[in-house]
Amino acid sequence: MAALRDGDFAALQILLKAPSKDAVRQLCQECFSSPPAALGPLAQRACPGLAVSAQEAEQLVSALHSLTRHVVYRGLTRAEDILCLFPENFHQNLKNLLTKIILENISAWRNEAQASQISLPRLVDMDWRVDIKTSSDSIARMAVPTCLLQLKIQEDAALCGDNPVVSALTVELSKETLDTMLEGLGRIRDQLSAVANK
Amino acid sequence: AADKIRLIPQDFFAELCEQIIQHLNHKIPGINTAELCQRIQTSGVDINTGDLAKIANTLSFLFSTAARNNLSTEELVTTLGSGIGTLPKHAVQVIRHVWNEQGKAIAVSEDAGNMATVGQFVDMKWKLGVAMSSDTCRSLKYPYVTVTLTVADPSGQITDKSFEMTIPQFKNFFRQFKEMASVLETV
Repeated sequence: MAALRDGDFAALQILLKAPSKDAVRQLCQECFSSPPAALGPLAQRACPGLAVSAQEAEQLVSALHSLTRHVVYRGLTRAEDILCLFPENFHQNLKNLLTKIILENISAWRNEAQASQISLPRLVDMDWRVDIKTSSDSIARMAVPTCLLQLKIQEDAALCGDNPVVSALTVELSKETLDTMLEGLGRIRDQLSAVANK
Repeated sequence: AADKIRLIPQDFFAELCEQIIQHLNHKIPGINTAELCQRIQTSGVDINTGDLAKIANTLSFLFSTAARNNLSTEELVTTLGSGIGTLPKHAVQVIRHVWNEQGKAIAVSEDAGNMATVGQFVDMKWKLGVAMSSDTCRSLKYPYVTVTLTVADPSGQITDKSFEMTIPQFKNFFRQFKEMASVLETV
């Protein structure tokens, strides 16, 4: 995450034309959450509210995106650290307002960044059922308990954009295979405790 | 399918038939199509996993039908001639050999695990990781669990499915499994 350039801070001062503090707050959130590719359309939407040219709106949106992402990247959490990002001659009140808005949102933004980083497909849901097989074409009578598990797995959000692909994996487990699974999971749990205690 | 069978070298074809028979005999949980396909491709043959899977399915159906009808080797070879179309000579040779050696042993199974309408769980591999840094957060320290489930689908093909869980998700996952196990106990 590159640090901001002087041009960015000049563009940020366009926010002085915003109709209200809430409008600034709203724009900050949208600029953080927007991926770079969607900044253009976002600038177009912001234009009328700010009464600026299309080009100025683009510069502002890009600067705000960089500022918010930079703060999250560096993991800044204190007001002093955020305030000293701004140059000497930056408008005092606007600087304080932006710092305040950033501090309000930093925690949620960090979670958002973690949730959207690259990863393997993620487990989103799991359902299960225990059945008893009572008979089949090859065995007339039996009572075999069996477990049906359905895992819903969502492909990498970064690759799917707004339409995440969720696939369902249905698996049958017997008592033996379920025990194998439990053993593996128990080892993970032990490792987690060991790591947590360090 | 017959066209593609032509492409598979004899030793790989024999290996495929071996796996299919062993799967039908419940000696192995499934057929490692993806792994076999990769080795066949490395040897220079242009065949994809989908084609190999279709061939495996066809052969599996052939063998299991032959077992149910108690076909002798000669009867099987005759059926081949009329059913699958013109198979290459080496393929027929392999099928004849494999059936001779192991075909009779495919018993109509008294195994309750046979009614595969969904995938059968084969194995689970796992990894506990900590993401240290990313393009969005320089200092992350975000723990996560990665799991790879090996599943044999209803036709016997083995596939892997990998996914990630956060720690709270993992804890819930574990809890659900313990509950399943206790229900299986009491049922």
